[in-house]
Amino acid sequence: MNEVVVAAAIGVLASSGVWLMLRPRTFQVAIGLSLLSYGVNLFIFAAGGLRVGAAPIVAAGAPADPAALADPLPQALVLTAIVIGFATTALFLIVLLAARGLTGTDHVDGQESDA
Amino acid sequence: MNPQAHFVILPIVLPFAAGVMTLLVDERHLAAKAAISVVMTLTLVAAAVMLLRFVDVDGTQVYRVGDWPAPFGIVLVADRLSAALVLLASGLCLACLVFALARWHREGPRFHTLVHFLLMGVNGAFLTGDLFNLFVFFEVLLAASYGLALHGSGPARVRAGLHYIVVNLVASLLFLIGASLMYSATGTLNLADLASRVANMGDGERALVESAAAILGIAFLTKAGLWPLCFWLAPTYASASAPAAALFAILTKVGVYVVLRIWLLLFAAGSVAPAAFGSAWLAVGGMATILFGTIGVIASQNLSRLASYSVLVSSGTLLAVIALQHPMVTSAALYYLVASTLGSAALFLLIELVERGRTAGADVLAVTAEAFAADTLSIEADDGAGVPIPATMALLGLCFVACALMLAGLPPLAGFVAKFALLDALFRTSPIPPFAWTMLVLLLVSGLAVLIGMGRAGMRRFWASPEVAVPRVRVIEMLAVAFLLAACAAITVEAAPVLRYLGEAAQALHAPRGYIDDVLARP
Amino acid sequence: MADASLPILLLALPFAGSIIAMLLPANAQRAEVWLAAAIALIALIVTASGYAAVAHGDVIRVAAAWLPGVDFSLRLDGYAWMFSLIVTGIGFLVIIYARYYMSAQDPLPRFFSFLLAFMGSMLGVILSGNLILIVFFWELTSLFSFLLIGYWHHNPAARDGARMALVVTAAGGLCLLGSMLVVGHIVGSYDLDRVLAAGDGIRNSDLYLIALVLLLLGAFTKSAQFPFHFWLPNAMSAPTPVSAYLHSAAMVMLGVFLLARLWPVFSGTDEWMWLVATPGLVTFVFGAYVAIFQNDLKGLLAYSTISHLGLITLLLGLNSPLAAVAAIFHMMNHATFKASLFMAAGVIDHEAGSRDIRRLSGLIRFMPITATLAMVAAAAMAGVPLLNGFLSKEMFFAESLQVEGPLPWLDRALPYLATIAGTFSVAYSIRFIHGVFFGPDPVDLPRTPHEAPRWMRLPIEVLVLACIVVGVAPAATVGPILDVAVRAVLGSQAPPYSLAVWHGASVPLLMSFVALGAGAVLYYLLRDYFAGGADRVPLLPEIDSRRIFDRLLVAVSWRWARALERRVATRRLQPQLRVLVVLALVAAAWPVYERGLVFGTRASHVDPALAIVWTIGGACAIAAAWQARLHRLVALILASGAGLVTCITFVWFSAPDLALTQLLVEIVTAVLLLLGLRWLPQPVVLQRTSAQRRAAFARRGRDLLIALAAGGGLATIAYAAMTHTGSATISRFFVTRALPEGGGTNVVNVILVDFRGFDTLGEITVLAAVAVAVYSLLRRFRPARESTGPLPQQRRQSARTAANDLVVPGVIMRAMFAPIVVLALYLLLRGHDLPGGGFVAGITLAIAIIVQYMAAGTRWVEDRLRIRPVRMMGIGLALAGATGAGAWLFAHPFLTSHVAHVALPVFGEVHLPSAFLFDIGVFLLVVGATTLILIALAHQSLRAHREER
Repeated sequence: MNEVVVAAAIGVLASSGVWLMLRPRTFQVAIGLSLLSYGVNLFIFAAGGLRVGAAPIVAAGAPADPAALADPLPQALVLTAIVIGFATTALFLIVLLAARGLTGTDHVDGQESDA
Repeated sequence: MNPQAHFVILPIVLPFAAGVMTLLVDERHLAAKAAISVVMTLTLVAAAVMLLRFVDVDGTQVYRVGDWPAPFGIVLVADRLSAALVLLASGLCLACLVFALARWHREGPRFHTLVHFLLMGVNGAFLTGDLFNLFVFFEVLLAASYGLALHGSGPARVRAGLHYIVVNLVASLLFLIGASLMYSATGTLNLADLASRVANMGDGERALVESAAAILGIAFLTKAGLWPLCFWLAPTYASASAPAAALFAILTKVGVYVVLRIWLLLFAAGSVAPAAFGSAWLAVGGMATILFGTIGVIASQNLSRLASYSVLVSSGTLLAVIALQHPMVTSAALYYLVASTLGSAALFLLIELVERGRTAGADVLAVTAEAFAADTLSIEADDGAGVPIPATMALLGLCFVACALMLAGLPPLAGFVAKFALLDALFRTSPIPPFAWTMLVLLLVSGLAVLIGMGRAGMRRFWASPEVAVPRVRVIEMLAVAFLLAACAAITVEAAPVLRYLGEAAQALHAPRGYIDDVLARP
Repeated sequence: MADASLPILLLALPFAGSIIAMLLPANAQRAEVWLAAAIALIALIVTASGYAAVAHGDVIRVAAAWLPGVDFSLRLDGYAWMFSLIVTGIGFLVIIYARYYMSAQDPLPRFFSFLLAFMGSMLGVILSGNLILIVFFWELTSLFSFLLIGYWHHNPAARDGARMALVVTAAGGLCLLGSMLVVGHIVGSYDLDRVLAAGDGIRNSDLYLIALVLLLLGAFTKSAQFPFHFWLPNAMSAPTPVSAYLHSAAMVMLGVFLLARLWPVFSGTDEWMWLVATPGLVTFVFGAYVAIFQNDLKGLLAYSTISHLGLITLLLGLNSPLAAVAAIFHMMNHATFKASLFMAAGVIDHEAGSRDIRRLSGLIRFMPITATLAMVAAAAMAGVPLLNGFLSKEMFFAESLQVEGPLPWLDRALPYLATIAGTFSVAYSIRFIHGVFFGPDPVDLPRTPHEAPRWMRLPIEVLVLACIVVGVAPAATVGPILDVAVRAVLGSQAPPYSLAVWHGASVPLLMSFVALGAGAVLYYLLRDYFAGGADRVPLLPEIDSRRIFDRLLVAVSWRWARALERRVATRRLQPQLRVLVVLALVAAAWPVYERGLVFGTRASHVDPALAIVWTIGGACAIAAAWQARLHRLVALILASGAGLVTCITFVWFSAPDLALTQLLVEIVTAVLLLLGLRWLPQPVVLQRTSAQRRAAFARRGRDLLIALAAGGGLATIAYAAMTHTGSATISRFFVTRALPEGGGTNVVNVILVDFRGFDTLGEITVLAAVAVAVYSLLRRFRPARESTGPLPQQRRQSARTAANDLVVPGVIMRAMFAPIVVLALYLLLRGHDLPGGGFVAGITLAIAIIVQYMAAGTRWVEDRLRIRPVRMMGIGLALAGATGAGAWLFAHPFLTSHVAHVALPVFGEVHLPSAFLFDIGVFLLVVGATTLILIALAHQSLRAHREER
């Protein structure tokens, strides 16, 4: 049951991502967000169904048969998602550094929480 | 296809082009950048006006990007609502740009580029008819807004920006999950196609769709600032630079718009029952947001925070009333949306001018010298004799009063018309539902709260100190504020046609059949 | 017709004048005064000219469509006409008076601008033919009274008074709006004529009580009825002309004006009597009593105003038409004598420099004329025969005798209460006169008192004359006016009444004389008390309403609100994210819980290898989560491991493009994070107390639960989605059309650059925006002090020469540049047919460049290789956009692609779709953006070193 495996994988990635996201240190949040985005990318991809050995590359000449190939649309969506994820992760990293530089701490609230 | 049809995509392409041009012009030639932005934005406003009239006359326009047929390729759909909102956003952007020309666009590099990209994202979100494309435009406007929120840097902005970014990143991930889930459940991304597929769908399959819709809803409501998803808003808006904050006034409205559009499309299309799905939650959440905003408004000393909370009040009001799904109420809500956007934007701009007097930004000419030949020195207060407020202060005070009236919903400006239209629509149904009574109380109380808060702040700024530190204000800055307030006045005087137009927009929203047919019609 | 223009003119004139006055410069040689006076005079004349029309009881209506259901309609009937007469007439006099009262230093344009605007709003309320319009102008009067009270805003009392007046009256206005909405709901229209015709419907509606209460809240706050009276005395810190106009003659009248206006609709029920008459009576007696003990002239007049308004309210509440007539009559009388009294008080204040009755005395020898005028006016206020005040009070006494309310004992008590209140009013009138004008010469006054200038007295003279004339020959003078007004209000119910001075020796007459006598006695008895100069009201608890109000306002708007805000909001990030995640979970789970999730059967066999791979991947993810706090590098590597496994999965399930992209992005992100790690502070192990540790444990436990729930939820719906056998998806279209119409065999790439090229355009815009944001942020970025110094590792290295250990890899890396560039170009070219494409190629090239940076250092690279990232980005975007816009030339929609087939030397025959140009744009942008970000970050180390030196 590949589906189970992939679903479990998504679950694990999301769990560890969320857990890190809820931590107080900016770096933890950064790692958490990237883990979470792996999970989400996998999710989008999986939402189109899993096919083995059916890369959506049509053979020139022969009329293409949609049933034979994996669903290309989710793949395209994931690609867009990856790019945007990359961009925002980069931005977040820079802001994280700037915040650390300006506030002197790497706590997400810019000051050590009293708790 | 006739060239007129291309108007639909101009609101996206023009800002894009403007952004690219300003990107290519070197930082050193700021004047050139300024010229480009203003010219392009003026063109955009003109185009938006044309589009609005075009749509109003010829009905909904569907634009097939890449010339691919409807459910497969990406379509842009310009109906009355989208056209109106595009015009609103463009006009707002124009005001903010002009305002920024005085000083803000020097505070950090690439201001213009970011503004135009933001506008591109906003207009795209208003126009697109495709779920994933909507996501992309959301990201465009968010990415630009991150940049603008941080524009000018400084600890406060960066700290607030960090929160803003993280929360919105998570919201975007939710958006992705919802969108892909929607795709796997229905096999399409085109909103109209989605709606028609959902309309005739088995109960078992619905679970996935509704789950996806719910996740999407959370993502949108985070942007719309629904309590308790709105704590990021006040610090971000309050710490952002004035023109950025004023621009952000439209962002929450984007969230509201998307909720309104997709929700009604997906769940009112079947028209078995008016989209019962989640409406109660929306109403309650909206009311909670109004309360929260009201509390915040009263509790905040700092004017910018007050303004941010008033933004929350307005989006809470919108979310609460659209939950009712009554066309009349919706049309009033749309009017309220326009009015509150203009009002809060004007306030955000104004605050910066008013507060500037305290932190002596004595780098530019005073409007008094340029426009009014009045003495700016203030006579010491002695027995009975009043202190002549210098013309600048008088002008600022006037605008401040106008903003206060707008946001408090008091006469004579559009705020009152909006509030009355809403309540009137709510009270039309007989017997008067408890919801209407609650909204009456909430609206009146929140209005009073805004009045008290603004009154306190205004009196402290304009009246309390006999020695008023006159802020140095440029004419163009005043122009920007005046432009927004003039727009408020205009929609007040011309309330009848405006409400007529928005009423038809609301009707279309509540009868999604037409939208679906327009989009899926074979070319 | 000329008539129709009349109300429009009345409304437009003052506002126009106000705007003009506002634009006048501060030193306009009193031009604003003449302007204002002229405006008011014209308005007065215009009003007077309207008499002919209203005399025959017909109504002038003008309407223009405004809001749905709300026309901008003006309506001038007798009652409105009478009020316009008062407002314009007294307004005119007040303006003349103000000309001499206000000091030269005062910014007069503002004053008169506000005054005219106020007059306009007053007329607006009076002339409104529509309930909503009434509210509209009602709130405007509140606004302008606020501005006028606060005119001397350097004086804190004025500020507080202004704010109090604003808050109270505006809140009342909001209630009024509510009431009007309810009425509109009952009647089905806001039009005043329709409403006035629908009296029975309203009285019998089950919403009547709500509407009534809200209406009264509005009216009572405006007309300062107990317990909302407190703002009026505090409003006395306004300039005296304002007090004379707004707070005696005009604005405070609005409440009773509206009550009378809607009298035919609302009155006649027991609720009405209860809710209107009772407060009226209380206010009437209470105000009169408190007025006696005021030491401030204006304070005395304020409380007397409250009392008289109470009297009017009481009269309206008696449910008898005759009482209503008395009420309307008394409105006019009160306006005249009270305005004149305020002006007299102003003269005294102006010429003697004090308003304190205890300091003033014997002024009659200094200002005989003013004294006489004041005496006559005060006599009118006290209800002395042959003056107008006497007539309406007489009517009231007569009414009080034959009232039939729900409570018999109250009916019987009313005459006595009336007489008592009359006594009080006589007492304070006497005090006003005797305390100020008689007795010994005043001592230590700020100024030596003298007679007021001729023109300053004129307005008073006019008003006092009116009091006398009306008092002597009512029927001949005021009769017609009153008659017109009464018929307009009461219509068919208008009762017969006589305006004679002498009704024979009747009980009311007796009551009047009793009141006069008793009042004199009371004053005589209280003389010593006044002489003591006490500053409080006997028999009443001392209540400083101003302080209470402020305290309340502060409490509500400050402490409570802040406490609440702290309770329901947070400024910390973690709670926000927690809420967000939990809400998303609940929202997603709700429909599933409602409808139940169906798992499809579309399932493949299991692949043990995949399972093994993912046990590793999952372990990496969890370990990363575990290590991220203290061992960042380890966490980074582990996370990358998880990413790698994701790539493998993509390959596994036939998504080569994804795998490739993910891998490259993986690398760049890793580099970014590595560059970033350097600027983070060294992680410290917090020393926690056991309590803190327990708290932290609880927090982590909760977060762990949330995380597990989120992951589980996502996994569940993922499984459901994967196994869900959905309806036909739209992507079959893409597969079939990719080659023939898209001109590429790699469907994914064709989707990206053609079918959904618009997404890609947006996507690269995102990249550009982010890059710009990063760039502008890093320009300002200053690394934290402690992290600028050399890192421990570097120190360790410094034993050996740090440069040497990179020599060999350095050479290799430099050598790799060319091959990677070629690879990038290759990926770009083939992208349309095989995995690759602009984005992948761009990232690859960016990696090539960054490798150079790593190998040889920033300076070396930038000496040899001039990269202009921003320029690249610009060109890339421009290219992509131009490709899209190019389609317009062929009258196609944006981004319509066109395929050309070209034969290239090396690659042989290739399709060259226009989408390819688009892809090149993407390529350029990606290179630009990525390098911009990486380089900007790399530069920090340079800057750091520079700062060290």
